Amino acid sequence: MKLLEMSHIRKQFDNLEVLHDISFSVSEGEILSIIGPSGSGKSTLLRCATMLEQIDGGEISYLGERTAWVEADGKRVYPKGEQAKRVHACFGLVFQNFNLFPHFSVMKNITDAPITIQKRPKEEVYEEARELLRKMGLSDKEDAYPCQLSGGQCQRVAIARALALNPKILFFDEPTSALDPELTGEVLKVIKSLAETHITMVIVTHEMSFARDISDRVIFMDKGVVALEGSPDEVFDADHARIREFLGKFGR
Amino acid sequence: MLSQLSNGMLRSMGIFALTLIFSLPLGLLISFGRMSKNSLLRTITKIYISVMRGTPLMLQLLVVYFGPYYLFGMKIGGSYRFTAIIIGFSLNYAAYFAEIYRAGIESMPVGQYEAAQVLGYGKIQCFFRIIFPQVIKRILPSVTNEVITLVKDTSLSFSLAYAEMFTIAKQIAASQTTFMPFVVAAVFYYVFNLVVAVVMEQIEKRLNYYQ
Amino acid sequence: MRKNWMAGAIAAAVAVSMTMGTVSMADERTTFTVGFDAEYPPYGYMDDDGEYTGFDLELAQAVCDLEGWELIKTPIDWDSKDLELESGSIDCIWSGFTINGREDDYTWSYPYVDNSQVIVVAEDSGITCLDDLAGKIVGVQAASAALELLSEDGDQADLAATFGTLQEFADYNTAFVELQAGSIDAVAMDIGVAQYQIKEKEGYIILDEELNSEQYGVGFRLDDEELRDTVNEALLALVEDGTVAELAEKYELSDMVCLGEGILEEAETETEAVTE
Repeated sequence: MKLLEMSHIRKQFDNLEVLHDISFSVSEGEILSIIGPSGSGKSTLLRCATMLEQIDGGEISYLGERTAWVEADGKRVYPKGEQAKRVHACFGLVFQNFNLFPHFSVMKNITDAPITIQKRPKEEVYEEARELLRKMGLSDKEDAYPCQLSGGQCQRVAIARALALNPKILFFDEPTSALDPELTGEVLKVIKSLAETHITMVIVTHEMSFARDISDRVIFMDKGVVALEGSPDEVFDADHARIREFLGKFGR
Repeated sequence: MLSQLSNGMLRSMGIFALTLIFSLPLGLLISFGRMSKNSLLRTITKIYISVMRGTPLMLQLLVVYFGPYYLFGMKIGGSYRFTAIIIGFSLNYAAYFAEIYRAGIESMPVGQYEAAQVLGYGKIQCFFRIIFPQVIKRILPSVTNEVITLVKDTSLSFSLAYAEMFTIAKQIAASQTTFMPFVVAAVFYYVFNLVVAVVMEQIEKRLNYYQ
Repeated sequence: MRKNWMAGAIAAAVAVSMTMGTVSMADERTTFTVGFDAEYPPYGYMDDDGEYTGFDLELAQAVCDLEGWELIKTPIDWDSKDLELESGSIDCIWSGFTINGREDDYTWSYPYVDNSQVIVVAEDSGITCLDDLAGKIVGVQAASAALELLSEDGDQADLAATFGTLQEFADYNTAFVELQAGSIDAVAMDIGVAQYQIKEKEGYIILDEELNSEQYGVGFRLDDEELRDTVNEALLALVEDGTVAELAEKYELSDMVCLGEGILEEAETETEAVTE
């Protein structure tokens, strides 16, 4: 089954169209990487998928159910109330800048949403959170506050926070771009370990070798359209002028 | 003299406490109006804040107290004097607090809202669990300023002859023809403010656990 | 001209206010709310126990005892006295309140004190008569009878023109402190208050020349003659039973209290007596 389908997505900012009729889908258990030059619309696409931005055309379906679309007269339809809650529970998002809540401890950052939003039992949530922190290698940071952690640690907490809601699909928006080079490794390692659990992931990234290594499928975006799509080998070895130029900048 | 001034002090503290109790939440509501998407509501609150900040508090107190009679012919008197003082102070301070809240709320990074949205927080949950606690930390120094000003402003109640500390000090000074009550009143105000400053500092320290 | 800026400001703020509704008076009066300046000894002030007292307030209490009313003593800001009275927040102004010059603004009781406006100076100031005040700084209470006398349309406008400066103060005490501090040369005030002040502080004298003489009365709302009549009757009764004389002695005002003088005999023509 397709977990996510985005078809004919258009998005414009102040009359400048940044996404032109983009369509793609994500199957269960699949790992999809989206690469491309800055300003190609990768992040905007991800923000549209997670409903942080509203689309100006096309439609979005989660789990085969049409959840957001634009009608012929240009009216946007977005889920409300209970349906919105259900849709939001489908996905998690890891931001480039982590966006942890600075006034919450690490533990509370992870457990607050499951307890107050999903109304799950406290004990169970805490137990799961401790397990997540262990996987992230942060067992000793339970009571720390985000300001006491390094960037890499913050990003791992952010990943744990997203996972605590048990999403079906996890989005990453350039998860290592805000990190010092020596800290990217620890975050990439964690994402890799998640891949082994077969959770569905969509990753916008500039880490080319990582993307090639981890992905089932890669999308190369350029100037608001999907320029290339295929297996990592097909995309990275393609004889395509734009991607050769793009990859050239990464020293390949 | 001391016992009378102490009585006045208790009344001043009453004005102080009740004003804070009413104006802090009211200020938040007004700041919502000020940031509302509804342009009518936004304009109304903007005018309200402008008038409240642009006219003397003493004059506002007189309007609140005498207004009901002159505008609606209602008979005033008795306990309304104190009520009018609390209403006047609360309306005035709410305007100042509203602008402080607004500055604090608008300074919050958009990422905090986005993270909360993606995690499934509703708008109200997001505001009260994520945004507002951080806003409090940001605006605390400005709030402390206002609170200290309020302690001193309670003396404006003399314009409605309410027997708070300053009014009593003036009256004792007149009957005993001495300047002493003013000196004592000044000491009282100063000590009151010292306590306020220490308390606010403690709260700030408590919120220092994060940055 | 009464420089009552607060009242003016209010009037501006509530421009609609000119429609003054009549305040309905309860048939069965149980309380009597007296508005007074609590910084005006010996007529109204706070005593050492923190209670409001004074000649006027004790007299008002005696009236209430006679009529079976409960006296409510309401200190007011003197600048707002008309607002307080108009709005019904007080029943009358009873506070060493000068009738002269305000005859048509209130419904007046019988005059009860012969007062005069005098000048207080330091003993060693060298000022001995009104002419010596030329070029000097003279203090006066805002919205007071003395100020009215000295202002442009007042009876002593010519004298005021010779002053260096006529300085207004919110209350007499502040004016007196400035006099002590030497920042002003003289204070124009009611003789009763002046006597109280120079008794407390040594080295000050009252000039023999008076600015004028005048009378104190209780001021009621213009439409409130019924209450005024009741209070007048009670006052006369208190003269007859000696209460007034007793109070006058207690506050050292015996020379000045005039209540009953000539009135008991001409009680029939009382309205004229009030305005004279």
